[in-house]
Amino acid sequence: MTLGGWTLAQMWPLMAVGTAAITAMYLLRMRRRRVVVPFAALWEQVTRQSESRRLWRKLRRLLSWLVQVLILGLICLALGDPKPEVWLRDPMTTAVVIDRSASMTAPSDEQPLQSRLAVAKMHAEEAVQGLGPTDNAVVIAAGEEVAVASPMAGDPSVLVPGIKAIEATHGEADLSRALALATHAVSEQPGPRIIVLTDGALSTAGAEALSQCVEGPVPCTVRTIPGPAENVAITAFAARRYPYARDKIEVLAEVENLGDAAILVRLDIEADGVSVGQRELSLPAGASERVSLPQLDAARSRFIARLSHANGATNDDGTPAAVGLAHDDLAYAVVPPLTPLNVVLVTDGSNLFVEAALLTLDDHIRLSAIDPTAARAGAAELEEADVVFFDVGAEKLPDPLPSKHLVIFDPWRHEDSPFFIPKRADKVRPFLTEQDRKHPIMDHVVLKDVNIGRGTTFTTAPGDQMLVGTLGETIGVLREKATVTVAFGFDPRQSDLPMRSAFPVLIDNIVRYVAQREAGFVASIGVGQGRELVLAKLGLPSDGVTRVEITAPDGATHEAPVERGRFRLRALQPGFYRIAGLDGAVAGAAVELAVNQTSVRASDLHDRVAALELPPAAEAEAAPPPDPLSGGPLWTLIILGVAGIIALEWATYHRRVTV
Amino acid sequence: MAKANESIAAGLIARLAPKRREAKGSVADDLFDEAFLKQLELLQVIARRLFSGRQRSERKTRKVGSGQEFADHREYSPGDDIRYMDWTVWVRLRHALIRLFEEDEDLPIRIIIDTSDSMMSSDGKKLRYAMQVGAALAYVGLANLDRVGVTMASRKAHTTLPAVRGKGRIFRVFEFMRGAESGGKTDLKATCGRVAAESPKPGLTVVLSDFYDLDGASEGLNMLRFRKHEPVAIQVLDPDEADPRRLALRGDVKLMDIEGGGDRDVTLAPATLTAYAEAHERFCAQLHSSCRSRGIHYIRADTDVPFDDLVLRIFREGGVLG
Repeated sequence: MTLGGWTLAQMWPLMAVGTAAITAMYLLRMRRRRVVVPFAALWEQVTRQSESRRLWRKLRRLLSWLVQVLILGLICLALGDPKPEVWLRDPMTTAVVIDRSASMTAPSDEQPLQSRLAVAKMHAEEAVQGLGPTDNAVVIAAGEEVAVASPMAGDPSVLVPGIKAIEATHGEADLSRALALATHAVSEQPGPRIIVLTDGALSTAGAEALSQCVEGPVPCTVRTIPGPAENVAITAFAARRYPYARDKIEVLAEVENLGDAAILVRLDIEADGVSVGQRELSLPAGASERVSLPQLDAARSRFIARLSHANGATNDDGTPAAVGLAHDDLAYAVVPPLTPLNVVLVTDGSNLFVEAALLTLDDHIRLSAIDPTAARAGAAELEEADVVFFDVGAEKLPDPLPSKHLVIFDPWRHEDSPFFIPKRADKVRPFLTEQDRKHPIMDHVVLKDVNIGRGTTFTTAPGDQMLVGTLGETIGVLREKATVTVAFGFDPRQSDLPMRSAFPVLIDNIVRYVAQREAGFVASIGVGQGRELVLAKLGLPSDGVTRVEITAPDGATHEAPVERGRFRLRALQPGFYRIAGLDGAVAGAAVELAVNQTSVRASDLHDRVAALELPPAAEAEAAPPPDPLSGGPLWTLIILGVAGIIALEWATYHRRVTV
Repeated sequence: MAKANESIAAGLIARLAPKRREAKGSVADDLFDEAFLKQLELLQVIARRLFSGRQRSERKTRKVGSGQEFADHREYSPGDDIRYMDWTVWVRLRHALIRLFEEDEDLPIRIIIDTSDSMMSSDGKKLRYAMQVGAALAYVGLANLDRVGVTMASRKAHTTLPAVRGKGRIFRVFEFMRGAESGGKTDLKATCGRVAAESPKPGLTVVLSDFYDLDGASEGLNMLRFRKHEPVAIQVLDPDEADPRRLALRGDVKLMDIEGGGDRDVTLAPATLTAYAEAHERFCAQLHSSCRSRGIHYIRADTDVPFDDLVLRIFREGGVLG
């Protein structure tokens, strides 16, 4: 407190003289107001009782004297024009960045009954309460999304509600963007500084951003809210159909102990509200364990995995206690829908064996056949195909080849073939001497005694797999890049392969292999990850769909545009999202998508700030005590206080005349 | 009749006008003005209606004498007029008894007005009120051909207007009241005693006072009663004095007795004011009770009640002039 007006040396004489004068006046006899009454004898009877309170009257007189001296003291203080120290320093602009990632919901060491976020909010409130009259602050909430919780303001009453409204989100804190925003907000302001309130459980990018911020031009201090690092998380959870038994499904869950001590937990998995499995897992520190539930009925479509303490520990309200973070104790999965593969057969019609083999797979594929001429003309079927079989005999292949999964027989019949795996050599009556029998495509298939009239071998590139070879040269090849290409350097018509039982098996293997690779069914996505999703991969045909309606687990809905069968989704809550087509061929149809907190980093509660070895200056100091008066000269308030005391004294003691 | 009353009132006003100017500065200034006189005339008319059918001055005394109405028997004693012997009793019982009759006698009205300092508080409001009531009673009495005397007294001064008769004498009453000296302490005992001693005949004695005399009030009234007077106590009260909460007094004050008693330093709090109001009410109730137990008519007169309303109430309740 600094005096801007009178000095103490000037005030003391006034105080002394004033006190002496007041005391002298009180020592003089009080002159009472005279009231003439006609019947004093009756008054005497009545007032006899008050006479017995003379001691209290004396005390009240003393109290009155003290009040007068207090009033004099306050007036002297007002003359001194006192100003808090905080008013005299240069203005400051503070950006308070509050980590609101999932890890902030864990308990803190500082106040075990409160979450780290609650403690961080408390420190943030202290920081804004300590602002001086010329200071400003902005509050930024850093979660998966960065938001300005309170706009730039100097009044704590404006800033505090924004701080109180901050809630933890799922996923990690995007500190990079938050600190960039904070730097941008305060860098042009007077006295810029950044205060980061975090538990230290940051991603690598977040830790790096924090380190850069500390070393940056804007003073950046970090206040960590440490807490226990014990946490067990469900790091993976998915359900899939068996490739060969699509009416059965398998559920896989991965549980990881991210803490520093061994723990015994229980994993419950339920489907559509019915428990389908339960496991007790003993996890040493840092260990993870996979749990699979095989051969489940595919009639179930929604799966929920729930983690809890094996000893059944509960909260005060009877609900199961969280194992570390509550966010990662739940995981969701949906069963992929049974969607047939779109197979197009380009054939000249002279070989019915391929078509016959494909027709046996009618449950799993949707087959359409076109002739080579139509294929070369760019038939629409090729655009929609998942797999294209080329069995064109002597006809030419279309140029260019469609960018789909391709299965091609005898691609080098013509020298000007557009096939992208080069021909190596022509072969007459080649013997199939090598076969990769471990490859799924060749499963249960034996080709070594197949008789072939003629053929060509391929010049393979690194990454290509030889399925079948002849004397060291590749005559059956698999190339996997963006798409799968399976090519056999002979025409089935010029071999006895179609007559063999291995032929339909080979065709089936190829289709399944492609189907599994194509299975890009999006079983679940992570919280906060804004990503582009393909409607078809969610099991919703995208024919003519331009808009979808997305319903979040909490029931909130919004529409998203669909462009070429794709739309963007940024899921902020774990649970089941519902995606419904609003127009096109699938108007009204809907599929579900599971969203999980699958980030191990977000579940790891270890403090990574300590490892950054920040300089001591980067450690945030405790906030200054709240400034009792955020504005206006203090002396005016003192005078108001004096007026209040006088009013109070007058109201309680009024009509008393003292000399 | 109405025209006659108006002419009387006009005459009264004409005679009183110069007197009012002479009495400037007194409590009675503008007291008996034109409006007052008109009210007296009205009161007189109303009183006449209330007492219609009664002969003038036929108020009976309690004296037993030669009236027409039988009152009692007493033993014959030698020298008694034998005309009053009750021969019927003598014939039947052989017992000599004299018949006594109530004596019809002109009953004087004496009006005593307390002029002490306590009546002068609040700019003499109570004294003015008492004088108005007293004048009204005197006027009605004179109009009924009663003899009316007035005494205005305190410990300091005691002046008496001897009993007068006739309506025209009301001006003497006014002049007497206007010229009476006021001030001094309340001393009802001495005042009543002196009035009782001075009165050759007992009669109706109306005492107009605030009775702020804890002991003297009862004794004075008793003294009148012992001298065969029929005392009527009219307690004139200022409501602000009776309940000081109406004045919103607060804080440390020095209470000074208007009659020159000792002063007293007190702190007036709402509780104190309430206690005084209750004590005052108890005092009035005690006076009322005391009067009732002695057969004394008691009337409470608050100054915020118009005096003519009070006088009419007195007439209606009876016992004073009726």
